[in-house]
Amino acid sequence: MREHKLIFALSLLVLAATVALALVLGRYRIAAGALFEILASSVRGGDLDPSLAGSSLVLWSVRLPRVIAAVMVGAALSVSGAVFQSLFRNPLVSPGILGVTSGAGFGATLAFFFAAGSATVVELSAFAWGLIAVTLACQIGRRGGNTVTSLVLSGVIVSALFTAGISFLKYRADPYQQLPAMVFWTMGSFNSIVWADSVRALSIIVPGLVVLYLFRWWLNPISLGDEDAMNLGIDVRRARMIYIVVGTLIVAASVSSCGAIGWVGLVVPHMARIMVGSDHDVLIPFSALLGGTFMLIMDTLARTLPGGEIPVGVLTALLGAPFFAYLLVTGEKRGGWQN
Amino acid sequence: MKGLAHGMGSLLAVDDIVFDYRDKPVLHGITFKVERGSLCGLLGPNASGKTTLLKCINGVLKPRQGHVRVNGENVGAMTRREVARLMAVVPQQMSLAFSFTALQMVVMGRASRLGALSLPSSRDRDEARAAMEELGVEDLAERQFNELSGGEKQLALLARAIFQETPLLLLDEPTSHLDFRNQYRIMDVVSEMTRAKGLSTLVTLHDPNLAARYCTHLVLLREGRLHRSGTREAVFERKTLEEVYGMEVFVQPIPGGPSLVLPGRGVAAL
Repeated sequence: MREHKLIFALSLLVLAATVALALVLGRYRIAAGALFEILASSVRGGDLDPSLAGSSLVLWSVRLPRVIAAVMVGAALSVSGAVFQSLFRNPLVSPGILGVTSGAGFGATLAFFFAAGSATVVELSAFAWGLIAVTLACQIGRRGGNTVTSLVLSGVIVSALFTAGISFLKYRADPYQQLPAMVFWTMGSFNSIVWADSVRALSIIVPGLVVLYLFRWWLNPISLGDEDAMNLGIDVRRARMIYIVVGTLIVAASVSSCGAIGWVGLVVPHMARIMVGSDHDVLIPFSALLGGTFMLIMDTLARTLPGGEIPVGVLTALLGAPFFAYLLVTGEKRGGWQN
Repeated sequence: MKGLAHGMGSLLAVDDIVFDYRDKPVLHGITFKVERGSLCGLLGPNASGKTTLLKCINGVLKPRQGHVRVNGENVGAMTRREVARLMAVVPQQMSLAFSFTALQMVVMGRASRLGALSLPSSRDRDEARAAMEELGVEDLAERQFNELSGGEKQLALLARAIFQETPLLLLDEPTSHLDFRNQYRIMDVVSEMTRAKGLSTLVTLHDPNLAARYCTHLVLLREGRLHRSGTREAVFERKTLEEVYGMEVFVQPIPGGPSLVLPGRGVAAL
């Protein structure tokens, strides 16, 4: 941990700078000076210059909830990605690859189709279907030879199944009332985030991250493989279940609030491993930090690039897919797809 | 009651273990004991069930019948944590999916003594380093485990097992991927640790000459059955070895040293 203090300090600085940038950038430009003015006056509790009222409104009710949501969702997807990679002993798995994301997306869409947008129902349904998806993927993978390749392939199968389910629901959905929200889920965006969404997602993601953080060291022996972990005294089945349930829970909370944003859970933990190694003592908190920063950068790009806002999921896929291709090509040498 | 009947001398008692793999019988009722302080070699040709037996002993595989007892206590009824405080396992050649340093690997030997929410302390790390020092491999501490040579990996894993601080040590073919010199280096260390720490050690071996040189006791398996067990002096003789390996052998006593096994002119149809 000690030797990574510098990299943590630097990353925190980058995150702080990104947050500041994300707060001022956008179609409604807030001057850097205005940002400090608004923040200072909220700390002082004094009156704000009336000319800053518009900036203040945008900052407090639009930018801040969105920035917080992006950072927390990025952290949640990255940490669960790191956890899933270690559980399945492969740097190429992620909540997306294992079908968790599409399962949760299906659950959210289904709840929206029948329960018309009760946020709690959407969240519960996303969680339940996310768990069903990862269980299915694990079961099919185990029966298909219990290799990493079979696990990844069964994740592809499960993802295809739930994506078909989402397509079907979209086809049957009311094109004016329901369809736009469903499209939004399949692409992923922080566009419509308000405080209520942010708080709701946080109330699940933060405790989930705390649990994974507290139990982080046990992922070291677990990532050695089931047998070795058992010999070191770990009840692997029970531990694996806890990690999968908590990891799925925070992914489901992310998907419910901002849709299925792919690739972050694969790319970020992998970059984190390259930077700080695979000791989970360091890797888990660093994945959270890096993931939050990465997602915030992606979201800020998504809403400030010329030509109007694009869904952030499109952007992460544009970046993630080539990165995955790179891992596949170079991973052959490192034995990434072997067992 | 049965535990008492095994007597004071033996730490590990394997009692009538039967194991099937997908309805195919692999072990047919294996019974033997490992005496306290002994270095017991588990010998037998490929597919004789050595590794399976080891996995039944450490509880990774559940035998269909029979019991494994340590200090008279049934291993089958223990939690993984309890088992890990009684026996440490040095697995066969392993390579990691993720990169850990050798020291991080050794520290994991502490897992069974850590609280669920605690992390290894700096004291744990110091002690892990001390365990590496005992085996003379402290200079490997900061190296990546995956980049170590076969012999160095085995020594690091052995340090981890020592650090686990268990009375029983199980090794699964620790010499199988090693060159001539490293085979003897590893077995020297195993033998020395067994003696110095008063451990009871069970080790599967391919090479009967290594067994002859280091083991105090031998257990010979053949086609999933116990062929013979006992002290090396009692068991290590030509006829028994010929029956176990299914080939003609010569046993050549060396003055002042262990016997040497040499293959005969051809594989006999025994």
